[in-house]
Amino acid sequence: MNSRFVSLVRKELLDAVRDKRSVMAGLYYAVFTPLIMCGLFMVLITQMSSPDDLKITIVNSEGAPDLIRHLNNNGISHSDDASQRKKISLIISDDYATQMLAAKPAEVALQADSSNEKLADSIRRVSRSIERYSSEMAALRLIIRGINPSVVQPIKLNKQDQATRDSKGGMILGIAIFTMIYSVFISGMNLAIDTSAGERERNSLALLLSHPISVRQLVLSKITAVSIFAMLGLLLILLVSKVAYMLVPWQELGFSVGISSTFIIAMLIIGLPVAVMASALQLFVSFMAKTFKEAQSYLTIVLFVPLALSMAASYNIAPDQLRWAPVSGQQQALMELIKGKEIPLLQLLVSCGFTLLISIALALGIERMLKSEKVVFGL
Amino acid sequence: MRLTHFFAIISAAFMAAVSGSLIADEPVSDENSCYVDGLSDRLRCGYITVAENPQKPNGRRIQIHFVVIPAIKNIYPDQAFLAISGGPGQSAIDQAPVFERAFGKVRQQRDILLIDQRGTGRSNILECNEDEIISPLEFAYEEIASADEIQACLNSMDADVSQYGSETALADFEAVRRHLGYTTLHVYGVSYGSRMAQLYMRHFPEVLATVTLDGVVPMQQSVLAVGLAVDRGLELLIRDCEGTPACHSQFPQLRDRFAQLDSRLAEGPIRTEVFHPMTGERTPFVLTRDKFLGALRMSMYAQNIRQLLPLAIDQAAVKNYQPLLGLFSLTMEGIGLAMGMHNSVVCGEDIHRLSDTMLQQMADSYISSLLVDSMSAACDQWPIESVGEAFSAPIVSALPTLLLSGALDPATPPDWADMAMVDMTNAVHLVATDATHGVAMQSCAGDLIADLVEQSSWQNLDSSCLEEGARGGFYLNASSVEAATEILSVQQEPQP
Repeated sequence: MNSRFVSLVRKELLDAVRDKRSVMAGLYYAVFTPLIMCGLFMVLITQMSSPDDLKITIVNSEGAPDLIRHLNNNGISHSDDASQRKKISLIISDDYATQMLAAKPAEVALQADSSNEKLADSIRRVSRSIERYSSEMAALRLIIRGINPSVVQPIKLNKQDQATRDSKGGMILGIAIFTMIYSVFISGMNLAIDTSAGERERNSLALLLSHPISVRQLVLSKITAVSIFAMLGLLLILLVSKVAYMLVPWQELGFSVGISSTFIIAMLIIGLPVAVMASALQLFVSFMAKTFKEAQSYLTIVLFVPLALSMAASYNIAPDQLRWAPVSGQQQALMELIKGKEIPLLQLLVSCGFTLLISIALALGIERMLKSEKVVFGL
Repeated sequence: MRLTHFFAIISAAFMAAVSGSLIADEPVSDENSCYVDGLSDRLRCGYITVAENPQKPNGRRIQIHFVVIPAIKNIYPDQAFLAISGGPGQSAIDQAPVFERAFGKVRQQRDILLIDQRGTGRSNILECNEDEIISPLEFAYEEIASADEIQACLNSMDADVSQYGSETALADFEAVRRHLGYTTLHVYGVSYGSRMAQLYMRHFPEVLATVTLDGVVPMQQSVLAVGLAVDRGLELLIRDCEGTPACHSQFPQLRDRFAQLDSRLAEGPIRTEVFHPMTGERTPFVLTRDKFLGALRMSMYAQNIRQLLPLAIDQAAVKNYQPLLGLFSLTMEGIGLAMGMHNSVVCGEDIHRLSDTMLQQMADSYISSLLVDSMSAACDQWPIESVGEAFSAPIVSALPTLLLSGALDPATPPDWADMAMVDMTNAVHLVATDATHGVAMQSCAGDLIADLVEQSSWQNLDSSCLEEGARGGFYLNASSVEAATEILSVQQEPQP
């Protein structure tokens, strides 16, 4: 029985490898998704972060030479060249100096479009720089009047941020884990269709069933073969991600995103039941379709379910209910791991248990289907 | 009753002996995450336990505390950037927010390591707890403490003060480095910290990749020579104002007014009544020459507070003491120096190195002689041996070294850095035109240091940003730095 099962799996894998196109199609996702994502992040980081030398428009700069000097020290200066400067204008009021001299608030206007995300960091930098100048000046004005500036700081708020440098990148990691879990579904999909709907289309399914093997053995071998492909895709995306994420200058955003070896191992272990369920699900759906094409369109719709579950976990939608569910439960556990927190073991076991139960149910469903001649001959 | 007391002492002594022999030679340590005021990031804190006296490994043990500001993206986990504070007597850990801001770029890829040097901060701090019954405003204080006060201070400390010199402390730094597993250090020392960094170059060059000395105290120099630099700083300030049209036209007699005020205070303190800078209540204010010059001295350390000085001197000359009071209030609660540790360093390493010519020079300067006299009084009773001749030798090194000076520095003038680098073959000295003491904290130098660390070479540093006119204008009245002429032209315009 065992050797028969092994040769069946070998047959499935051989079949899959022979069809190079579908092998590659499955693995393209694993290779290119992290690369494309990291490329996008790199562009985003350069666009979002304010340049060292920030050029803006400053109107009436002669009215406040000391403020301009302060801004220059912080790398903010005026430029006449519209192509170099950001669309931020600082307008110094005409009576800035008189107001300053009389200790009245001197007026400066900051014009910019706050809905422009590329500008957000620069706008923040300009206003923070002016606020710092203002509060420094306030302290000096108090000192010169014989008052200790600590008098106007009734509360000293000491912030203690519990985030680690890894957890600060949690949002991005959520997306990364999402793409990895999704790769489990994508990588084996072509093979799943080919070995079910495809096989029937080619009329080789009936031939296969005429051999002295049980239907159960056949179903298990197909699930195993598709799972192996899914895991291969997962391993590939993990390895590519490990290299790609290292190249992105995350530190410029103040956090780091790294794929550690521990994470890779955990992901592979936790990903295994998901891969089995994905395979069973895809085979189940594909067997219901009559042709390759039909299976493809069914699966696209069905795949939305794990997609939604994973997405919900990434964006923290209904985390309490979803933590027991397959896919999102595993994803939440992985996110905790990467944030350096304890893995919620019970929750992980329950969601893995559910995942396996669903897989078994689906496998039994396929077995039952294959016992029906209507399905085998595509009637 | 007396018998039990006696017994308690015996058993206590015995217990101490037993526990002493049980402690292993290896440093004992404890680590966890913590926060430092002013910095919201989670840091790694810990300490190692070392023998207070390395010659007596079974004697009293003290904790050396450290803090690691973790790298954002730790590309070089076996390297750290060690920042050493000045004083002597400042806590490096307390300055974590300052260092984090200055070395943000270094931190992107490497841990920043801060160690409270023995006798400072959390590492068995040596402080003199004086009873402050009299308000510092009223107190006509002399900086020179009496023999009794010094003895009381010595008695109050639970330590063998002879073990708090720089070289003993350096061994602690090395122990912390080994404990944390860093193979390579980039070391930064500011002010007195530059002496620690130079000792590191002398004794453990093999673990260093780069060195930055900021506000340099050369090995050949006694820190007590800062007294002369204070006079230089005041002279620079007055010349600076004379050279700035707006300041000169506002305070044309600054030099004379300063001289008048100083000689008036030399005759005796000025007694007046002011509103307390913190409570706002009426309170007597005794302005002594010490307080006056002390406040000016401390004000010259910070670029922005320095901007207030011409106005403060000018106002004090016309009997408005509020500006001086404000400046004095900034330091009246102390400046965070562990005086016991300060004394151990200065009495062991500096006081005996003042030559006769230097003492002669210092006698002419009020601040210098005050400094020397007060330290002499303390050192007469401070039980610490003087370091040997070899201590004062300039550092011979081929390590990539960056020396930084502020042209306006009221403590360590730029020529001190030149003195420090005579035998350094791979060193460069950069002078920041507008900086005072501690260039990295008030200019682009922090980013230059990041480049030095990254490239392990100073050859490609672009120091042009140190030359730019970064200095703020002097305050012309109690509210504004903007020049009066420009204000005049605005005022002349017809008002709608």
